[in-house]
Amino acid sequence: MLELKDISKIFPGVKALDSVSLSFLPGEIHALMGENGAGKSTLMKIITGIYQPDSGEIFYDGRKIEMRSFRDAVEHDINMVSQEIQVIPESTVAENIVLDRIDKFKNTWKLDWNRINETAQIYMDLIGLDLSPTDKVENLSAAYKQLIQIAKALSSNAKYIILDEPTSSLTTFETVRFIEIIKELKKKGVGVIFISHKIEEVLSLCDKVSVLRDGKYVGSRTCENLQRQDIVKMMIGREENLESLGALPVKEEKVLEVRDHTTYGQFNKLNFYLKKGEILGFYGLVGSGRTELLRQIIGADKKDGGELIINGKKAIIRSVEEALESYGIGYVTENRKEEGLVLDFSVTTNVGITIWKKILNKVRKIKTSEESEIVEKMIQKMAIKTPTDKTKVGTLSGGNQQKVSIAKWLAADCDILMIDEPTVGVDVGAKVHIHELIWNLALKEEKSIILVSSDMPELIKLATRILVFKDWKIVGELDYLNVESKDYSRISSHIGEYLT
Amino acid sequence: MAGDLRKRLKKLLGRYEVTTILAVLLLGCIFSLFSSSFLTSYNLFNLGRTAAIYIFISIAQALVIIVGGMNLSLGFIGGLTVVAVGYSIQEAGIPPMLAVLIGLCVGMIAGLLNGIVITAFRLNSFVVTLATSFIFTGLINGISQGYPYDQIPPSFTLIGRGGLFSVPYVLWLAILALAILGYVFKYTVVGRRVLATGGNIEVAKMSGINTNKTIILANVGSGLFAALAGILWISRTGSAQPSTGADWMLISFAVAVIGGTVLKGGVFNPIGMFFASLLIVMVKNGLVMLNANVYFEQAYLGVILLLAVSLESIRFLLNRKKMKRHLKEQQLIEGKGKE
Repeated sequence: MLELKDISKIFPGVKALDSVSLSFLPGEIHALMGENGAGKSTLMKIITGIYQPDSGEIFYDGRKIEMRSFRDAVEHDINMVSQEIQVIPESTVAENIVLDRIDKFKNTWKLDWNRINETAQIYMDLIGLDLSPTDKVENLSAAYKQLIQIAKALSSNAKYIILDEPTSSLTTFETVRFIEIIKELKKKGVGVIFISHKIEEVLSLCDKVSVLRDGKYVGSRTCENLQRQDIVKMMIGREENLESLGALPVKEEKVLEVRDHTTYGQFNKLNFYLKKGEILGFYGLVGSGRTELLRQIIGADKKDGGELIINGKKAIIRSVEEALESYGIGYVTENRKEEGLVLDFSVTTNVGITIWKKILNKVRKIKTSEESEIVEKMIQKMAIKTPTDKTKVGTLSGGNQQKVSIAKWLAADCDILMIDEPTVGVDVGAKVHIHELIWNLALKEEKSIILVSSDMPELIKLATRILVFKDWKIVGELDYLNVESKDYSRISSHIGEYLT
Repeated sequence: MAGDLRKRLKKLLGRYEVTTILAVLLLGCIFSLFSSSFLTSYNLFNLGRTAAIYIFISIAQALVIIVGGMNLSLGFIGGLTVVAVGYSIQEAGIPPMLAVLIGLCVGMIAGLLNGIVITAFRLNSFVVTLATSFIFTGLINGISQGYPYDQIPPSFTLIGRGGLFSVPYVLWLAILALAILGYVFKYTVVGRRVLATGGNIEVAKMSGINTNKTIILANVGSGLFAALAGILWISRTGSAQPSTGADWMLISFAVAVIGGTVLKGGVFNPIGMFFASLLIVMVKNGLVMLNANVYFEQAYLGVILLLAVSLESIRFLLNRKKMKRHLKEQQLIEGKGKE
């Protein structure tokens, strides 16, 4: 048995894990679930020695173990297959499987390739991998690469294997095969820790589900007779129906119209529009093309065809600069650390970056007093918790960073705002505040907003209309959402219909 | 009151350039103690002149480091400028003022070439400027055939050799350049955008900044300052040597980095650069004064550079530790508050 006791882990500005206790049994498929930022991956990194807990202990069959690195975890028969595929494409299947112990296959001074290939074959047989050990990995499909990673994990004689969203890069057919293999592992007495967002998959495959929320352990249930709603309730801490914010006074006027948007290999003649003062939701799974579409509209990436009509006039946008300065369109990125904020710069600089051109005096000097004023106003409006406006953004908590990332576009005073996954990795309090803010932007300032979110409750709560995306297409539209109260379960099942 | 003062003193000592200033003072004391000729007005004047040239060279490097790049070719841009000016005056008979303008244009065009290749083909500035280094060297050798142009009119050396209030003109110029750049990076849109590009190019792009423009601009600026350094070098020596600039690349990095220009970009520190150039010049000069073996000079400079960069890293690690402790305490307090 692998037992975690009171594990806590603190990162700058956030308590990622708060005395979590959990145990995993051999021969058990144990699912670990939770929203983004709930602490799943941090916990897994602690189990595999990549992170060290700030407090708490780990026991293996009753014996306390301490792990300082991933190597230590492997020594203790714990292994992990990470979400991203990590194989060396230029090497052979066998080489990838024995990679971490390749020094054990030395024959005086040269590698014993026969022994490497034989050893790899054993584990390939174990999971039914019908390839030759000498095949190059380069041209194999994602599923094969995942399987190679599992063979690699098994070849270290792992008794516990962590699978981090293993099916996210697999097709339906590949997934079926993959699940067979996991069941095989279970029969052989391996403890499988299965991280997934797909509730149906978890219910059909796993023996037990444990849920984390905001870094805390919520509880564990056996999967038998467990319903989807039960898991969701544990994950988000309440029933899925949210209090309604009411209806928005949406104008008939279309501020943005996208006609026949085409990008070869991605979109084929996509059409949609945005009305003044509405919140248009984009729902879809990760990889359905929502972010790519927005990036192409604002000129961050190139498209191959189609027209853009802004405020009734034809528009051509070639860069983010043009989108902002000529058309007043702002895009709040889903990826604040890489695209949204310069973490080493102050709050002032990060918020001010979009407005410098507008606050020049006669000799084209930036009026720093006006800059400070605007930034101060934004800090108030967004309730950003920061020691001073000169504080480096990187030292703020995730929620406050996200607020700064939104604030810079509010400061720019855009009429059309595209907001991409605004509450990923944000704590509950900040989430509520960001929701209110988005709502008030539409209600009080008549901003027109496109909201991309994979968080269905969030989208249903805020959006007055939802477009459903699947495989680079708009597969459905829900246009009855601008009402005083919304029926969550009806709306979500309606979206579900479009997706299948 | 005393605590307030201590806090302020601590904050002052925490500033990056303070370490460099202290090092300059310390070295100054040591050298003047052990050598009677160090603290003479003649020697100090000379120190100032060399430091000024180093400031221009390091500005040329810092400008591209700020946008997250580097310029290995700046010494050869300097050399090319020197040859262009020398050739114009001596072979083409162009008046000196015009020759200077030609030289500046040559520098800016060379920088423009770097910038355009880097942005148009999305190449790493290391490889691009490495390649253009060869091009510029080839041009220098081809045009000059290796011979110096020494028929430079005496009026040309006025700026390089004269001074005001016993401070060389070139040093005044260098200080002026640092002050102007300090203003540009603090108060102008262009300057701020260049800094933001270096801070994080993706963020800058997604915030509506034309990052190609800022990168090209930084490279043109780099060429301009390399050219200025070259022209001032002619003015100082009174002849246009094609070998000018061969040793600039290492010096430019050393001064910029010791002066607090963070290699990953986004930071400009004029005061730090001023004192860093003094530091390097003093080490070189002081060692001669102390009769140290000058053949080892580069080794001493290397050690100082290593010390300077490690200092930055050590400071970063200490800060992180402190921040972590602070956050932990804060969370403990918050936790108690909830209970």
